[in-house]
Amino acid sequence: MTGAVVVALLLITVLIGARGVAAMRTTSDFLVASRRTSPMLNAAAVSGEYLSAASFLGVAGLVIKEGTGALWYPVGFTAGYLLMLTLVAAPMRRSGALTVPGFAEARLGSRSLRRFCAVVVVVIGVLYLVPQIVAAGQLLTLVSGVDYWVGVVVSGLAVGITLALGGMRAATYVQAFQFALKLLLFAGPAIWLLLLAGPSLRADMAAPPEFTHFTQQTPVDFRLDTDLVVTEPTVVAVDGVPVELAPGPHHARGDQVWLFPEGAAVPELGGDRASLPVPGGDQWALPLLGTGEAAPLIATWSVLVATALGTMGLPHVIVRFHTSPDGRGARRTAAITVALLGSFYLFTVVYGLLGTVLTPELHLSQTTDTAIVTLPARITDGSTAAVLTALLTAGAFAAFLATSLGLLLALSGALAHDLMPSGLRRLRLTALAVSAAVVPAALLMVRVDVSAAVTSAFTVAASTFCPLLVLGLWWRGLTARGAYAGMVTGLTCSVGAMGLGTALPLGGTAGMLLTQPALWSVPLAFLMMIAVSLGDHVPSWAEDTMLRLHLADRE
Amino acid sequence: MNRPRRVAVTAPPETGVRSRPVPARPVPETVLERDRAAHARRVRHAQLRRAAITLACGALLLLGLPVLLHGVPGLAAWRLGWLPLGWMLVAWLPYPLLALLAWWHLRRAERAERPDDRPGEDPAPAP
Repeated sequence: MTGAVVVALLLITVLIGARGVAAMRTTSDFLVASRRTSPMLNAAAVSGEYLSAASFLGVAGLVIKEGTGALWYPVGFTAGYLLMLTLVAAPMRRSGALTVPGFAEARLGSRSLRRFCAVVVVVIGVLYLVPQIVAAGQLLTLVSGVDYWVGVVVSGLAVGITLALGGMRAATYVQAFQFALKLLLFAGPAIWLLLLAGPSLRADMAAPPEFTHFTQQTPVDFRLDTDLVVTEPTVVAVDGVPVELAPGPHHARGDQVWLFPEGAAVPELGGDRASLPVPGGDQWALPLLGTGEAAPLIATWSVLVATALGTMGLPHVIVRFHTSPDGRGARRTAAITVALLGSFYLFTVVYGLLGTVLTPELHLSQTTDTAIVTLPARITDGSTAAVLTALLTAGAFAAFLATSLGLLLALSGALAHDLMPSGLRRLRLTALAVSAAVVPAALLMVRVDVSAAVTSAFTVAASTFCPLLVLGLWWRGLTARGAYAGMVTGLTCSVGAMGLGTALPLGGTAGMLLTQPALWSVPLAFLMMIAVSLGDHVPSWAEDTMLRLHLADRE
Repeated sequence: MNRPRRVAVTAPPETGVRSRPVPARPVPETVLERDRAAHARRVRHAQLRRAAITLACGALLLLGLPVLLHGVPGLAAWRLGWLPLGWMLVAWLPYPLLALLAWWHLRRAERAERPDDRPGEDPAPAP
């Protein structure tokens, strides 16, 4: 049943994509749907594209893992469009450039800067696209029992073929359709599950019991190598073989299933995950990110800054505003998007709390990414559960498809349009080639943490394109050399810090600032850009080029 | 709604769209006349001021809420109806406020570039 729903969804996606083929003639058609999309349709498409796996599944999973503070992620995702509305949408659309690298060249007059921007697009795109495909593969594995590689290949191919056939005109309809679908498939089951839950479960949701003992015999399916600290002697069946664990640290391999008996004490997480809050505990219930020694205020602000500013710099989102007919339309699109995204995220908390009450053991294995689709079977059984699971799976799959389409488009655009200028034919082939290249990467990175990888894409975008766009659109003094210096600083600081943070688990505030560098890397990139530009010669045409972006349309 | 019309864009032609070579530097075809440049400067300034006000409100809301929750941890335990108040402040409150802020900014931004709102200055261009 679930399989049939996913196949139907894939078919509809490809069909809607094919509908766009007939009307497409030029690169402009392919990349920006010939700039004729109305604000409402475009806002639905922007939201449809933006609501990825991280929104549909990841955030609810993060509530189990990191506590109610994880609810700040979608707030930041939505706030990003307020920034887009106020600072980027209208002047960016009026610049008339097709892509962010194109904008950089038009505004600052440097071919090499354009190529560098294209490289940054590729970095952000890959950081974002690979986890999408990974999550799609895991989801298909979970619900239909096919091998992981089948799921990855199927989703990669579907996205590549749709895009190669239809381009952005197809993508606009696909995305708008998918937003409606996702909202329906997210809100509907949330309300349905709440009604099914019954008064005692609903009371538990408002105050989840602390996860200290297993209330029933519970299998924990580890996907990543995990350090555990056992607090009392426990007999655990490891892959079916009973093992007696003495109190103290133990190591679970990434491919093992541990079966804990009813009533056993829940082991604590060790290693770099020791700081994660216990589901239902006091730290978990405080709606701030980061715990104990890792200053919660700074951690929360850091995530807010990364997600809000990162949204502005995501190349696949920016290109969407070019499908509006003019600057005014682009601005309206951004404003409507804030409302659409908000209405979607209102339901996140329902899944987060249900997941914490019903599947707290995912806290141990850290496999919270697919928690949502396992919920219906815990609340009810029989056909109702099957229907709900199928609906949620379809919604999650729609999320993967929509985001991947946009990312693939931005990636192909950067490769075929900016790095090696070419026509429509090459662009189509690039779309296929990129999707083919991403599939092996997704196969290799099966153990990547989806939410973490997505946040890192936001951080890189916030540290590079955000200062470029804000200063480029509003300050005449920005020069190509300044933009270069700032973006190189932002790129190396964000990627370097996150790499370092993963390599050496420091813990505490220092470790948090390494794994979540946005709070310092974004201001640093801004400062660098301004400082180098001030010491540079501003060309005479710079002010006119910048001012044109602020003249109302049709004047 | 009528089908939106295509409008002229101001950037130099994109490479790859047409096959003729593009100059290495985007020389603006026409330099802005003094009046239009002055007008553009005014509009940019007005928009920037409005953006600053909107973003200040947004930042106060989003960066201030964590401070409130940090300062008054009891909010997370204080039940108001079904869920604790502290959770509702994060899970629900920001979205309507952000949407309102966006709507308010959109109206002001569109008014700022409407020609009749510039009293006594260059009259609205003929349609």
